[in-house]
Amino acid sequence: MNPTDGTRGGPGGAPRPARRAVLRTVFTAAVVAGTGGALAPVLLESPDPGGRTQERDAVGPERFSEFYKGREIRGTATPVVPAGAQSHAGEAGAVAMTPGIDVSVDGRALHVMRRADGSYISTVNHYESFPTLVETARAAVDELGTAQLSAVSPHTI
Amino acid sequence: MHSRKNQRDLTRTEKKRLVDAILELKRSGRYDDFVTLHRQYYVTDTERRPRPAHMTPSFFPWHRRYLLEFEKALRAVDPRVTLPYWDWTRDDTASASLWAEDFLGGNGRPGDRQVMTGPFAYRRGNWRIRAGVTDDPFLRRDFGRPSAPVTLPGAADVDRALKDPVYDAEPWNSVSTTGFRNRIEGWGIRGARGVANHNRVHRWIGGSMAGAASPDDPVFWLHHAFIDLLWTRWQKAHPRSPYLPARALPAHDPQRDRIFASDQPMPPWDVAPSQLMDHTRFYRYV
Repeated sequence: MNPTDGTRGGPGGAPRPARRAVLRTVFTAAVVAGTGGALAPVLLESPDPGGRTQERDAVGPERFSEFYKGREIRGTATPVVPAGAQSHAGEAGAVAMTPGIDVSVDGRALHVMRRADGSYISTVNHYESFPTLVETARAAVDELGTAQLSAVSPHTI
Repeated sequence: MHSRKNQRDLTRTEKKRLVDAILELKRSGRYDDFVTLHRQYYVTDTERRPRPAHMTPSFFPWHRRYLLEFEKALRAVDPRVTLPYWDWTRDDTASASLWAEDFLGGNGRPGDRQVMTGPFAYRRGNWRIRAGVTDDPFLRRDFGRPSAPVTLPGAADVDRALKDPVYDAEPWNSVSTTGFRNRIEGWGIRGARGVANHNRVHRWIGGSMAGAASPDDPVFWLHHAFIDLLWTRWQKAHPRSPYLPARALPAHDPQRDRIFASDQPMPPWDVAPSQLMDHTRFYRYV
């Protein structure tokens, strides 16, 4: 069952929202779902044509690798822009910058999603969010106890 | 029309019938279909796709219909069964009869948080978790999460939400700071408030209930039946307050294609929130 199936007669036919918002959310979803094919890492320091890199929910680069309660947690948030997005640089202000998120506990992928305020939710903690990836990973360890993450999570569809 | 009761008022026989019906759905595979459906419709508010279940105005009507489907499946097994509700403002300890051996079983054990008592304990042979967040095949609970303690919401928390006369508010997502819907759904908002009500109960139970496959724990249904009852109480307290948004959002609104106004059909059932405003066609709370 696909969540997008039932929209007929529902919201639809709307002119697109601001280009920036479209790109940001589309690529957030793509990256989190692990299906983003045409994404190119860029440096956060690269020039931002719209001058809006510092928007509220833009996430800075985050990289950690540590042992927490005996579990190895690792994570990176890599800012990405869609390949070819520079051609839209003059449109609606700016190119969207969204992070490629990769978090693991003992080598198993921890699927992470984002809320509108930029905080993170994981499959382990679905009803609370955390401001950083390292806090998300530590909270997952707390909730897991001695359990291992599933090798294959069906959450991404 | 049937009646939904407070779980604390169920007779021993009523509890057994409910448990047996749940176990039969599990045996037939239908139960796991419900778990999968909830997982599929958990869409966050940064995703550009329809978001009918969480972080959204239709949180209440979507779950009402979801519970109706589950209750229908239970009643197909045993027509005498209805969904009870768990008032967690009242039965707020691990020693409540809800968690007894003859009903949902108790807390998980230390370490792997495996539930060892009651009909849903793995060792009883009837409750195998197939597509959970972890590799474990057993139901997990971690009451109060001792590693970072959480308490159940109290009557004052619920009352504060019930007093809000507006159903929901912009930006119609998890950061709506006012409105009954997000006060009950309970998303923590940085600098404004902590995790509340609905979300906090998921956290308090912990384990399976804290994660993406939360309906793996049968208490999910009793928790959400109470959430459904709170919606009814709010409607009674504010009879002139409509579901919001009442109409489709304007074209420029970024939430337009993602949330569901009163008459916009929600997947997967193609039923609009307006069709679910009144539950008395289906059941009543006693």
